[in-house]
Amino acid sequence: MVDNAAIRALRTMDLIPYILENPGVSISSLATRFSVTQKQIENDLQLIFMCGLPGYTPYELIDIVFEDGIVSVIDPQVLDKPRRFNKNELIVIALGLQILIEINKSHPTQLEKLQSLSRKISKLGSSNSIMFNAVGTQSAYLDLIAKAISERKKLSIKYNSLVKDKKTCRIVDPQRTYFLNGNLYLSAFDLEVRSDRVFKVDLIEDCEIVDFEEYVSSQKPEKTFEVILDVRKHHRSFIERNSSVISASKELDDGFEVHIQISNLEWLKRSILSNAPGISISSPSQLANEVLESAKSVLALYRA
Amino acid sequence: MSSQKTERLINLTLALLATKRYLTKSEIFKSVTGYSGSPETMERMFERDKDELRSMGVEIEVKGLEPLFEDDQGYLIRSETFQLSENEFASDELLYLTMAANLWHDSALSNDSNAALLKIQSLSGPIEINAFNSPVVRDNENSHMLATAFEAIEKCKKLTFKYNGNHRIVEPLGMFMSSGFWYLVAKDDKIVKSFKLVRIESKIEMDAGTFQKMEGFELSSYLKRYSEEEIMQAEILVRKEQAYSLRSKYLVTEYDSEWDLMLIPFSYEPEMIETLLWHGQNIIVRNPQSLRNSIVTRLEEFING
Repeated sequence: MVDNAAIRALRTMDLIPYILENPGVSISSLATRFSVTQKQIENDLQLIFMCGLPGYTPYELIDIVFEDGIVSVIDPQVLDKPRRFNKNELIVIALGLQILIEINKSHPTQLEKLQSLSRKISKLGSSNSIMFNAVGTQSAYLDLIAKAISERKKLSIKYNSLVKDKKTCRIVDPQRTYFLNGNLYLSAFDLEVRSDRVFKVDLIEDCEIVDFEEYVSSQKPEKTFEVILDVRKHHRSFIERNSSVISASKELDDGFEVHIQISNLEWLKRSILSNAPGISISSPSQLANEVLESAKSVLALYRA
Repeated sequence: MSSQKTERLINLTLALLATKRYLTKSEIFKSVTGYSGSPETMERMFERDKDELRSMGVEIEVKGLEPLFEDDQGYLIRSETFQLSENEFASDELLYLTMAANLWHDSALSNDSNAALLKIQSLSGPIEINAFNSPVVRDNENSHMLATAFEAIEKCKKLTFKYNGNHRIVEPLGMFMSSGFWYLVAKDDKIVKSFKLVRIESKIEMDAGTFQKMEGFELSSYLKRYSEEEIMQAEILVRKEQAYSLRSKYLVTEYDSEWDLMLIPFSYEPEMIETLLWHGQNIIVRNPQSLRNSIVTRLEEFING
């Protein structure tokens, strides 16, 4: 963004209530939080040091101290509270609250508070033209998972693996949770296989925090394969949903040639079968044959 | 960029914010540091400063102080339009606001999410770390596109872009996020349609002219119609000890020694087929016949290439 005088003036004024509530904050942390350089923060602070209320005696100036890269506010004058949320900030908050309401459907007390907060935010002027269309994601274990992440604790989970189609029990080191394509995932380090794994939160059947000593297992790191797929145009949502494993993609007449790097071939085989006939494997041919054979055996069930 | 101007803008804002009564221009020129030169120069400086602050969303109120003299107007900034108030949000509300804004900090809305978080922390101080370990949204959206679309909806401006190979000029009505993707709801040639943002093939641009907002359009009721499709029921056989992800959601009854019977409600056939084929040989659809036929046709087509 171009840093014109008005933008800089407002950012500089925004610094004051932030430092007031977070006394002793470092210049480097301010630079990160306000997305500018440390030099810029120093310049801004030098500048606001000269500003204040008419009269401009020492009693009317904004008073801050900064020493050894640490800042505190002594007198904020009228800048003791942050500016109001603008339209886009309200939209982001309102959308976030809609998601939190969705996740907390089974917690009546939290739900009630979130709903009343959501009404408050919409009164402040968020937009009713921008919405989150709920799909019903909720999990009884979300609070527990957040707690384990905060406290760096391990979790023991019972998981219905979609790919292996098995119930498995695992000990994991939880890292973070996120929504992708409308589903809620937990990214965690699986202590058994010594590798990062992603779990769909709604397939976690049981979950508890455990004390667990780490041990070194003998599993080798996973090998990745390159697979080339032919994706028909009306199945391109497959590409949109799996962009993280796609290394190259080329548009053809009626579809796309997509190169993917993958270690989990079972996942890929199931994905292709479930999108049939929209996606086919053009290389390697052995993998293409395997999927073809499983399609034939499913068809045989219907012809029996 | 001159520091002097930034300093003057800050001092002007502070003076207008601190005053209980409307300040006239001459009072401002006399008391606010940074205004100097001939009366015309100061006048021009003030007009420009006021416009710039307003363009950044600062509400400067004007009031005629002396009805007989048009020039004698007073100015002030009301604290309640400029700042959040101390007890506007309870402490648990601040925690939820943090979680709500934090959800987007990894997404295309990260700029607005960060700006909101800064303001929340300027009210609350450091927030309990648990709020930051709540989920975040990940997407592959283009933040510039989202910002342009938000602005066009707000200001009733037409948007132009290329979609499905065609150039469109549409009247944007709203936006929604569904299954992790953003959709633009817009009137395209008299019909209200949804456009998936990641499928827009060009830059998205805002037209200069505005349009008349469509009367009676409500995004919430549009979405309700959108999701209120007919619910059907699939009757399927599930191989014993298999398809655990379905078994955790739907009840089964014993069918024979090899299979269990399961009923699954669905509204969108392609999605249902995807779910069922994922389980390969561990599932057979018994009813409805149409779903069975679609699966057979798809598999035949796949096998015959």
